[in-house]
Amino acid sequence: MFDHFFDLDIPGEVYSSLIVVLIIVVLSIIVAIKARFHNPLKKPKGLLLIAEIGVKYFDNFARDLTGGAMPEFGGFIMGVAVYLFLAFIFGLTGLPSPVTYMAVPLSLGLTTFLLIHLVSAKYTKWAYFKRYIDPLPVFLPINLLSMWAPLLSLTLRLFGNGIAGWALLTIVEVSLRDLSAAIFSFMPTDALGNNWNEIFLAPIPMAVLHAYFDLFSGLIQTVVFISLTAIFIGQEIPEEVVVNNYQERRKSL
Amino acid sequence: MTGSMNIMAAAIAILGVMPSALGEGLVCAHVVDGMSRNPEMYGKLRTTMILACALVETTAIYSLLISILILFVIGK
Repeated sequence: MFDHFFDLDIPGEVYSSLIVVLIIVVLSIIVAIKARFHNPLKKPKGLLLIAEIGVKYFDNFARDLTGGAMPEFGGFIMGVAVYLFLAFIFGLTGLPSPVTYMAVPLSLGLTTFLLIHLVSAKYTKWAYFKRYIDPLPVFLPINLLSMWAPLLSLTLRLFGNGIAGWALLTIVEVSLRDLSAAIFSFMPTDALGNNWNEIFLAPIPMAVLHAYFDLFSGLIQTVVFISLTAIFIGQEIPEEVVVNNYQERRKSL
Repeated sequence: MTGSMNIMAAAIAILGVMPSALGEGLVCAHVVDGMSRNPEMYGKLRTTMILACALVETTAIYSLLISILILFVIGK
């Protein structure tokens, strides 16, 4: 039945992405079960505490940047952030990181792009089409070109970071391996015919570089991506809605 | 001949990191200015500086991406 399943030539990054999604699904189910059976009068501990801090942080983040007009927006932001961060640090396992495959950043960028236009259409109704002829009808071709700028910039930022880190790490790894093989070339081969002289130089510099390019860079790019998403979407919400929301919240306090 | 032309093209494409480096220097200089004026803003300014540096870095990463593409994808 599954004889020709692997003939599809699916790239490894897609499997990595599926593994990341699986990890997130399992974590979510564990957190949901824990939250369901937890006594709300007691202090949360462990995983539940981390989840609560995360939910609160992202809810506040979304409320600050979209003016409280979209209270459900925090969930989307948190999902994207968790997926993106796990995808960036997935390279630490030695499997290919999903971010180094163009389709993954493109999907994330497309999600933001669609949300920008859907939110704009939701709040401005038919006046949505006015944005294409913004100052004058003459600007139609320029506006049609510039509407793709957020998509391109979000996609290429993620993909560029992923692929640049991967390329630099690979170059350093290969050169350190060759250098180690040249320095320790006096080592004899073992009983199975393997030569272990390649493994001495790479581990410590590679650990530092992985900590920078995967952990630090991944965290920064995640924060940049969600900030840009929230800012782009917050721009499309008209000011009346935001002001009304603030007044309602002040009344309710 | 094509190989050396590819390497030249990649070298020209990577020149785009120069303005980005200048921009990052400007960001850091102004953040240090702000920190020395009011040191109690140190934490907030550092976070904003890292974010701004990541944003400015984007153009440099475009150049790096293009030169990597020229070397490893188009060049083959």
